Amino acid sequence: MFDRMNLRVLANHVRAAAENMAHTLQRTAHSAFVKETEDFTVMLMNRKGETFGVPMELGATWFPGLTYGRALAMVDDYRPGDVAFTNDPYACYVATHVPDTHLWKPVFHDGEIVAWTGGHIHNTDMGGAVPASLSRALTEIHQEGIRFPPMKLVNEGVFDEQILRIMVTNVRKPDLNIGDIKALVGALATGERKVLAMIDKFGKQAFLDGVEALLDHAEAEARAMLRDMPDGTWTFSDYADEDSVEANPCRLHVTLTIRGDEALLDFTGSDPQLASSLNVPSGGDPRHTILLVGIYYVLYTLNPKILLNTGLTRPFTCIAPEGTVLNPVFPAAVGMRSLTCARLRSVIFGAFSQAIPDRLPAAPAGNNCIVNVMTTDERTRRTVIAAVNPVVGGGGGMPHRDGTNGSGADAAYLKNTPIEITETETPVEFVRYGLARDSGGAGRWRGGLATDMAFRVFAPDSRITVRNRDRSFFRPWGVLGGRAAGLSDMAVNPGSAEERRLGNVDTAVLQPGDVLSIRSAGGGGRGDPREREPWRVVQDVERGYVSVEAAERDYGVVVRDGRLDEAATRLLRATMPAHGAHFHFGPERDGYEARWTPDAYERLTAILAGLPIHWRFFAKTEIFRRMSGRSGAEGVQHALAQVQARFPNMPAPATGGAG
Amino acid sequence: MPMSEKGNAAADWKVGVDIGGTFIDFCALETHSGRMASLKVLTTPDDPGAELMTGLSLLAEREGLDPIAVSRFVHGTTVGMNTVIQRKGASLALFTNAGFEDVIELARLRMPETYSLFCSRPDQLVSRDRVFGIPARMRSDGSEAAPPDLASVADAVAAARAKGVAGIVVSFLHAWRDDGHERRVKAEVARLAPDLFVFTSAEVWPVIREYERTTTAILNGYVHPRISGYLTALEERLAARGVPATPLLTKSNGGVMNAAEGKRSCVKMLLSGAASGVIGAAWLARQAGEDRILTLDIGGTSADFALIVDGQPQFGTGEMIGEFPLHIPSVAVSSIGIGGGSIASVDEQAILRVGPESAGSTPGPACYGRGGERATVTDAMVVCGWLGHSAMAYGQLQMDPAQARAAVGRLAARTGRSVEATAQAILDVAISELFVEVEKMASRAGVDLRDFALMPFGGGGPMLGALLARELGLRRMLAPRRPGVVSALGGLVADLRGDFIRTLFRPLSPAVLPDLREAVAQMAEEGRAWLAEQGHRGPVDLLLHADMRYAGQSYEIETSLDADWLARGDLDAIAGRFHATHARLYDFFDEKGHIEIVNLRLSALGAGPSLAFPQAEEIDGEALAERSIAVHVDGALAQVGLYRRADLVPGQRFAGPAVVAQEDTTLAIPPGTQVRVDRHLNLQLTFPE
Repeated sequence: MFDRMNLRVLANHVRAAAENMAHTLQRTAHSAFVKETEDFTVMLMNRKGETFGVPMELGATWFPGLTYGRALAMVDDYRPGDVAFTNDPYACYVATHVPDTHLWKPVFHDGEIVAWTGGHIHNTDMGGAVPASLSRALTEIHQEGIRFPPMKLVNEGVFDEQILRIMVTNVRKPDLNIGDIKALVGALATGERKVLAMIDKFGKQAFLDGVEALLDHAEAEARAMLRDMPDGTWTFSDYADEDSVEANPCRLHVTLTIRGDEALLDFTGSDPQLASSLNVPSGGDPRHTILLVGIYYVLYTLNPKILLNTGLTRPFTCIAPEGTVLNPVFPAAVGMRSLTCARLRSVIFGAFSQAIPDRLPAAPAGNNCIVNVMTTDERTRRTVIAAVNPVVGGGGGMPHRDGTNGSGADAAYLKNTPIEITETETPVEFVRYGLARDSGGAGRWRGGLATDMAFRVFAPDSRITVRNRDRSFFRPWGVLGGRAAGLSDMAVNPGSAEERRLGNVDTAVLQPGDVLSIRSAGGGGRGDPREREPWRVVQDVERGYVSVEAAERDYGVVVRDGRLDEAATRLLRATMPAHGAHFHFGPERDGYEARWTPDAYERLTAILAGLPIHWRFFAKTEIFRRMSGRSGAEGVQHALAQVQARFPNMPAPATGGAG
Repeated sequence: MPMSEKGNAAADWKVGVDIGGTFIDFCALETHSGRMASLKVLTTPDDPGAELMTGLSLLAEREGLDPIAVSRFVHGTTVGMNTVIQRKGASLALFTNAGFEDVIELARLRMPETYSLFCSRPDQLVSRDRVFGIPARMRSDGSEAAPPDLASVADAVAAARAKGVAGIVVSFLHAWRDDGHERRVKAEVARLAPDLFVFTSAEVWPVIREYERTTTAILNGYVHPRISGYLTALEERLAARGVPATPLLTKSNGGVMNAAEGKRSCVKMLLSGAASGVIGAAWLARQAGEDRILTLDIGGTSADFALIVDGQPQFGTGEMIGEFPLHIPSVAVSSIGIGGGSIASVDEQAILRVGPESAGSTPGPACYGRGGERATVTDAMVVCGWLGHSAMAYGQLQMDPAQARAAVGRLAARTGRSVEATAQAILDVAISELFVEVEKMASRAGVDLRDFALMPFGGGGPMLGALLARELGLRRMLAPRRPGVVSALGGLVADLRGDFIRTLFRPLSPAVLPDLREAVAQMAEEGRAWLAEQGHRGPVDLLLHADMRYAGQSYEIETSLDADWLARGDLDAIAGRFHATHARLYDFFDEKGHIEIVNLRLSALGAGPSLAFPQAEEIDGEALAERSIAVHVDGALAQVGLYRRADLVPGQRFAGPAVVAQEDTTLAIPPGTQVRVDRHLNLQLTFPE
């Protein structure tokens, strides 16, 4: 048994090891994806492959609860100096899309494996149908690049040249991939050295016990937080705007049950797996890290002192039925799961917001757009491909302050690029980069403002991709009387005769002189806007965050010639209606859910669950086509009847589908 | 000069002064006799500068320092840093391109606490209602898309005035390439409102990257009135005392500048305290013949640490001033909120933690007997028996071990352990917190710490240094004789140092050579002129660096260049140095990669005084402990030799465990350590393998 009074000492050594690995990887990696975007992870794992240490300052935020167990077991006969790898999402559900290449290395001590070091890099490209291997429109994993099932990449310190040659042959930026992989192998060796140093310091048995104590400690902290929450069951849904080129909403749904110090997250009611790359490959693992990212945010927000490791996941159980968007079966495409994961986080935030309304913020903007430009440099005639700033929105209003403007909450890991650097390297000219007035949800604490970015291109047929676009229809929600936020938007040449509004699409082709304007959603508001101190509203007006009209309309604060009109404000506020429900979703979702009621979705879920998996998305799409003028469970049933009439050889749904 | 008739004509004093959180430290050297005097005086936050005069009076009384014999007076001040941290700076307006008013708020987007839904950015030093967008656009190649709209400038000046601003910061896109827009707007503001001070981003530091340049210019404007007022008062006070030397100020770049420049380039002194500590440490290390040093400066609330490689401090940009990054060249110093006053606590899971909460200097650790009740790192040292055998801080503090025991005892009651075991655990946890941050710094820098010797200073460095060195696997430690005045010493020995930059952002090719040569020639001229302005008459040293990268990378690395290479047009030599630097930092280089030169930088150095301290011959022999004391070492009670630092002479040896008490600190030396006193009275510690 490890001396618990000294657990913090071990925790610090573990963290130092993880930070060391992260810095080594970032320092020696080749690609901008790893060095700048920090789309990587490193971790220390116990003998079973459970993560017990991650860096806190570098890298992605999705993986502190990752378990490599299944992957470890798929390779035989580990020897000192070996490194194994995989990027196949379906082999063992460790990698969750093809660009993410995960490596792991056994740490031997006295001839026995005492721990593992591991991590992933997001490769710039893994081949497949499109550059960067990611597109919403792809429909099967084979289009998303070359996949390597779990196998050894390094044998006793020597790289397997055959594997490297196969990779080099199949990808578009082989030098970056190989450089990054070698940097990660170096980082794993750093981690191995640090683990051995810890064993030297603490002793082997004390180290092994201590690692388990770290996991137990995190588990105990998570359980203590759950115990502090009331027991109960809460449901929540949120929607991605489009499920595929069919452009129907994609619903994610959770039933959260908290009992004592445990929680069940049942995702039944979420959409069937999609004929697009928005699927999230969890393999149905009840504690898959990708399903629990929202949980890490909730727990860390409630207690920033927690240790982030697999122990946190133990009190949680997820149910993600097979053949749904959160547990697709091979060969569904999964490349753009990040969009769905953002929505998954807001579903979890919404469920917990009902359980502990006093302690959590409203919805963050939840659309972390990554903007890429492919254009021609008129001076050199060369094609230039470059990432422009991410366009992300604000955080939700917090219990104690306004949402962070322009980023924050679960988007705070993203970085931008200086305009002066982008303009010098890439033939684009920015017209605007700033915050969007009136885009934050109104509330006692206002939601963070959206980002508004516009730039001009100079060459014909300049192609722009804006990955992760969402929230152009379903707003980030407000809570406790706070209002939903502004929507995202994208347009070419806004405000001119040549204006083209682009809806929710994530690509655009621009011609010389065209300006592309991209706006994110804002963060939701929290609390009754009538309770926001008038001076804060006036300050928001002075700062340009809120217009005079919105101050009056949303907050009941009357500003005349830059000054607060106290009497008019008092009068107006007295007549303003309150918003009584816990959530405020905005007119778009209210309108949608008038048709697609909870009953309707329950019916649809039952129908689709009763069909073979390869029929489900088709059936969903066909039912949606026939829902106009219909609503509720009955409407779904009628639509189904029409679909069955049109496609007589569609199998009858297994349970109660035929009605 | 009537004073000189008093018989002090031969004396020549050089004085370095450094202001910390609690104390102001003096390090004074009489150059003819080599006599060194050090002194600590409590700070007077309500009247900054008064403590300086108190110190001069005390030096006169105790050491016979005659103000008129002061030929060099170097001062490091925290006035600027405090102004930012306490948010007491000037009310400013920012004039910038219309459409880009939110650049300072958006910053670089990424926030430090990426796992928290409550992560947020600091409130800006210039709130959004004081940011005025002026229609204007310069392109990245320096061509003009639209000139600044002067009518908007007039409106903005009127609006800014109505808000009661004291000054205006002007920052426009691509001013790194051509600052014409900034100059035109500045001229217009000066015409309309000659009473407002104006700084442009390019005149503060003309580096590419709009957020970094703008925020640096804002920091400069924000601290300007206070620093300027402080320095004027200082000059008057010194003159009234009869000090003939023009005061020099320590800079974040480890050099010094005169007060006249300090009033304008305020931002250049913001990090001078930490920087001059490293300069002082580097000087001590060179004296002792060491070239790889990890410095560790521990105060009451925080620890600063830095690397000295090949005898030289390391430089970086983006160091934090409170919550804002400063993008001028600064001595790279990392920091963590762990110090002697850090408070220990036990959480609900019975896990012991240390910091970041601190008892500071008031009330301070429980053992200070000033009302502190919570156990701190210092109290743990007292309970274990390492501390409390002599007065601290030149006799200004008396230790009360009973209070320390009571405070640690309250935690022990919750952990169910003995008071001593709890105290040991507090030390272990505190050391492990330092360990994490030092390891991170080392891995960022890509160095193997085992090649380094630790140099601890500040009040707490010697106390915890050896324990940390052991944890990090260092083999040696070099403990200077006067750890309390290393920063003051740094100022005393520092060179005049001015930095100049030209951003080129061009591929490395023969076509760029003429521009490189011209930039170097211009900067060399500016550098010489700068040194002349500072009153420097001696030889001039010019250091040339380029910030370079492979095309496509988004970060640059500093590469030192020989001016010769430019004159000869030897591009291969430049490329070769870049490849080699890249390989050293990042473990690889790309021979086929296209190289870009982003910035060309020049530092103009005017050597500081070449000082020598007296050294004594080493006499081989055992040092005798004054007495034996009982200390809990790593959990077991041991008899430990107590040595007086003042009694140790060069060449003496002894072995740990040991305690060395001196007037300003106490050294804790773990078992197995071999200690030798060197010719400079440093203690050279060698740890067991």
